[in-house]
Amino acid sequence: MAGLSEPFRDGFMQRALLEMVVLSVLAGVVSVHVLLHRLAFVGDAMTHAVFPGIALAFVTDRSLLLGATFFGVLAAVLLTFATRLPHLGTDAALGVIVGAFFSVGVLIVSTSHTFTADLSSLLFGRILAVDGTQVAQTAAVAVVVVAALAMVHKELVLRAFDPIGSAALGYRPVVIDLVLNVAVALMVVASVRAVGTVLVLAIIVVPAAAARLLTDRIAPMMVIAVALTALASYAGLALSYEASLRHEVRLGAGATIVVLLCLAFVLSAGLGAWLRRRHGRAVASAEAS
Amino acid sequence: MSLLQHLESPLVRRALLEAVMVGALCGAVGVHVLLRRLPFFTLALSHATLPGVVLASMAGVSLFAGGAAAAAVVVLTVGAVGSARRLDVATATGVALSFAFATGVLLQSVREGGAKDLAAFLVGDVLTTSAADLRTTVIAGTAVLLVLVLVHKEVVFGAFDPDGAGAAGYRLVGLDLIVLGAVALTVVTSVRAAGTIQVVTLLVAPALAARAWSARVAPMMVLGACFGALAGGTGIAASSQWGLAGGAAVTLSAVVILVVASGCAALYDQRRHRIVTATPELAAGAR
Repeated sequence: MAGLSEPFRDGFMQRALLEMVVLSVLAGVVSVHVLLHRLAFVGDAMTHAVFPGIALAFVTDRSLLLGATFFGVLAAVLLTFATRLPHLGTDAALGVIVGAFFSVGVLIVSTSHTFTADLSSLLFGRILAVDGTQVAQTAAVAVVVVAALAMVHKELVLRAFDPIGSAALGYRPVVIDLVLNVAVALMVVASVRAVGTVLVLAIIVVPAAAARLLTDRIAPMMVIAVALTALASYAGLALSYEASLRHEVRLGAGATIVVLLCLAFVLSAGLGAWLRRRHGRAVASAEAS
Repeated sequence: MSLLQHLESPLVRRALLEAVMVGALCGAVGVHVLLRRLPFFTLALSHATLPGVVLASMAGVSLFAGGAAAAAVVVLTVGAVGSARRLDVATATGVALSFAFATGVLLQSVREGGAKDLAAFLVGDVLTTSAADLRTTVIAGTAVLLVLVLVHKEVVFGAFDPDGAGAAGYRLVGLDLIVLGAVALTVVTSVRAAGTIQVVTLLVAPALAARAWSARVAPMMVLGACFGALAGGTGIAASSQWGLAGGAAVTLSAVVILVVASGCAALYDQRRHRIVTATPELAAGAR
C-alpha cells in the first residue's frame, strides 16, 4: 500500500467514504437505541420492508426517497400497532410483515424486464456509484433523525430501562415506540439505495453490539459505535479498492465493510473481556491492601 | 381452463408439488417456531444459508448440504455469543445474521459471474425445481415431521413449562436442540423455493392462522400444514396464471390466508359469544 489516502484520490471513492462517514454517525446513534430496546429484529425487518418503495421508485423512475419513505413509515406504523394486538407477539408480527412487504417489492420488480439484474443492484446497492445528491439526502435524513433522537434521549433511555416507570410518569409507550421505529425506518430509507441491504442490515445492529462490549455508559457507547463504523468503512473501502486494482480479486465494497465490522466486534469482545479481568484484579488488590 | 393447461408443463407440475410440500412442512413446523418464539432466529438461519450455498456452488457439491452446514455454524455461533451474557439473544442473532449474509455476498462477489444466482436465491426460485430437489424435500420433510411426531409430548412440555420438564427429568438442552434442528432443516429445505427473506413468513403465517382456530398443538400443526399447502397451491396457480414471481406469490397467499382465517375466527367467536349470552341456560353453564 503506497499511502493511506491513496485509494481515495478518485472522486467516486471520496463520495463513497463521505456517504459512509455520514452513515456511521447515524448508525452509531440509532444502533445504540436499537440495542437498548432490543429491536434488532425490527431493524432487520425494516431493511426488507422498505423494499417495495425502492422497487416502485425504480420501476416508475420517480424520486426514490418519497416511495421508500412512504413504505418505511407504513411498515413502522404497522409494526408498532401489530405488536400491540393481543395474543400476537412482536416477533410473530414481524415475521409476517417482513415477508409480506418484501414479496410486494419482488412482484413490483418482476414487472420490469431486466428482473434479476435490477434485483441484485437494488438489494446489494452500489456504494461506489453513490452520487452527490444521494450523499446530500443521507446527510439531511441523518441530521433530522439524530436531532430528533437527541431531543427525546432521556425519554427513550427511561423507556428502555424502566418501561413501567416511564408509563407511570405519563409517557405513552406507543408514541415512544413509534418514534424509534420511524427513526429506524428513516435510517434505512436514507441509506439502503446507496449502500444496499447487506450493509444497512449490519450497521443497525453490529456497531452498538461491539461498543456495548467495551463500555456500560450510553454516550461513550455511541461515540465508540460511530468510530468503529467509520474505521471499518475506511478500511473496507481501501481494502476492496486495493484488492481489485492490485490483485484482481473482486471484493464487494459493502460486504467487505460488514465483514470488517464483524471482525471489530470479535476484537471488542476480546478487548472487553481483557479490560474487565484487569479491572476486576485491580479492584481485588485495592480491597486487599 | 387455462389453469389446467399450465399443468401440462412438467415445470409447473414440479413447482406446484414442491410449493405444496414446502408449504405443508412450514405450516406444521411453524407452530413450534411460534411456541418457542423463534421467528428472528429463523430469519437469521435463512440468511445464514447464503455463504454455505455460495461455497457449495463454487465447490460443485450439493447446495442443500452447503446450506445445512452453514446453518449448523450459525446455530452454534448464536449459542456461543448469546451465552457470553453481556448481549441479549436478539443482538447476538443480529450480529450472526449480518456476518453470515455479508460473507455470502462477499464470496459471491469474488466469484466470477456477478450476483444473479444470489438474487434468485434471495427471492426464491421455485420454477426451476428438479426431480432431485423434489426428492430432497420429501426425504427431509418426512424426517422432520417424523421426529416432531415421535417426541411431540416432550417438546410441547418443554416449550410451555421448561422448569417442569427439567424437574421431570427431561434434558432441556436436548429438547431445544431437537426443535432448533427441525426448524433449521425446514429452513434449509424450503429456502430454495420460498426465498431467503420470505421463508420466515411461510413458517409464521400459516401457523398463526391455525392458532386462531385451535388452542391445541397437534390440531394446530395439522391445520397449519393444510393452510401452508393451500398457500403453496394458490401461490403457484397465481404465479403461472399471471406470470408473477413464484416465491412472492406463495408468501402473499399465505398472508392473505392468515388475514381471512383470523378474520373468520374472530367473527365466529363473536357470534358464539352472542348466542351464549343470549341463551340463559347456556350462559349459566358458561359461568
